[in-house]
Amino acid sequence: MIIDASTYIGHWPFRRLRHNTAEGLISLMDRNGIDKAVVSSINAVFYKNCQEGNEELAEEIEPYRDRLIPFATLNPKYVAWREDLERCVEDLGMRGLRLYPVYHKYGLLERESSELLREAARMRLPVELPVTLVDPRQHHWLDVDTGLPLNQVLEAANRYRENVFIILNAKTVSPIIERKGAAAPPRNVYVEMSRLSAVLNKSIQAVISRLGVERVVFGTGMPFHYAKPALLKMEILDIKEEEKEAIYWKNMAELLGLQGG
Amino acid sequence: MKIDVHCHVAKRANRASRGWTNADLIEAADKLGIDKLLCSTPVSRGQPTMKMVRECNDITYEAMKEYPDRILGYAFVNPGYFTEAIEEVERCINELGMIGIKLYNQYRADEPVVLPLIRKAAEMQVPVLWHAGHPPSPEEALRWGQPRISDGVHIAALARKVPDAILINGHIGGGGDWEWSIKALKNVPNVYVDTSGSVVDEGIVEMCVKYLGAERVLFGTDLSMEAGVGKILGADLTDEQRELIFWKNIDGILRRRKV
Repeated sequence: MIIDASTYIGHWPFRRLRHNTAEGLISLMDRNGIDKAVVSSINAVFYKNCQEGNEELAEEIEPYRDRLIPFATLNPKYVAWREDLERCVEDLGMRGLRLYPVYHKYGLLERESSELLREAARMRLPVELPVTLVDPRQHHWLDVDTGLPLNQVLEAANRYRENVFIILNAKTVSPIIERKGAAAPPRNVYVEMSRLSAVLNKSIQAVISRLGVERVVFGTGMPFHYAKPALLKMEILDIKEEEKEAIYWKNMAELLGLQGG
Repeated sequence: MKIDVHCHVAKRANRASRGWTNADLIEAADKLGIDKLLCSTPVSRGQPTMKMVRECNDITYEAMKEYPDRILGYAFVNPGYFTEAIEEVERCINELGMIGIKLYNQYRADEPVVLPLIRKAAEMQVPVLWHAGHPPSPEEALRWGQPRISDGVHIAALARKVPDAILINGHIGGGGDWEWSIKALKNVPNVYVDTSGSVVDEGIVEMCVKYLGAERVLFGTDLSMEAGVGKILGADLTDEQRELIFWKNIDGILRRRKV
């Protein structure tokens, strides 16, 4: 069983993506042996009114509800997010949030965030935070040119202990693994491993050592990214099989409240 | 069979200067089925002196001696030293058994200063691997500390001036606008691209093949080991194209050497 914590559908304005429909994503999952995937709308990042992107997402994944697990994209600085959140969870069956503080120009420690995070905690919705969507070194002139600072995520996780934060697409995890002497990162932080490494600097092993294997989840970043690099990392990772199972699906299944995956 | 055309050795043999050793590098290559690693030790900032350049090449040579069946070397030089740079290339290739030349960002590929060295490489028919990338803006190139980084346009200009040179546009997946460089290199048959770098954007390898043909695409990692192998395995390619990219193209290039 494999659950991918990091996939998307929709239009990316700055490069032509392939396989970026629900059907295309399912075909990539089939090709790579991935059973289920958390998915959100790319369109929702760019619409002023994110909710229209969430509505599109729900509609498009309807035939694949058994495999695609929708997460809502919301902007806590945009009007009526509370109603949108309720609609996403109650009517559209969304199981978590994916937030983009850099794109939507707010900080996780600001007042608007705290209200949204409080609601997410009350509704037991995990919060996924893509550090970047594309490598900032190749950003389009209209795109953002920085990623979400991990220190901000750690500080937010310290402040909002009732929330679960899942960091997606992080290439460097220094603030998590190099806080020697400092208190361990809060227990409500999880890391998706697709951009880390199983060899040489062994950043996946470093995160496991710092956070525990129960707080690392599998992801690919499809269709922005090929799935194979992440799968290869898992294949060659020098940990026990039951620990791999935890990363491949069990940790994410528990966060999503999925019965037996 | 897999030959990594863009790799690096630990800065000091058997010392964990980057957090890992050459033994760790070989262990990673074993896990990923990489048979040979074409490595260099460049200076990535400033204008290195000949003394610094020789020290770098000696580090590479130590690794070659440590793993003679696995590690092959590129001679790193600073083209600004003209005759001395060419002499260092001759030392590395003729005496130390290196297989090509590695150039970094000391000069851009379209600057006249590089011509004597590239003509020498063409005469020897050894490949020149060029650290390359297209930053989002000149200001960002400065922020990267690489105002003279070359992209596909610069390397294409050089290739047209020295059409018998064998040039490799390094790490198309190393950050920067890869679509820019691939398009720039379309009609320049003596330039290859290597697919190394941490960028694993879906479609990057397919675009290389579409614009350049599989015969001009070379597998590499630049130490992003799983990303390097994974993007070739994950791309929509025929088995024949994958073989060309993983090893046959570079094998053919290395057989052209006149040394």
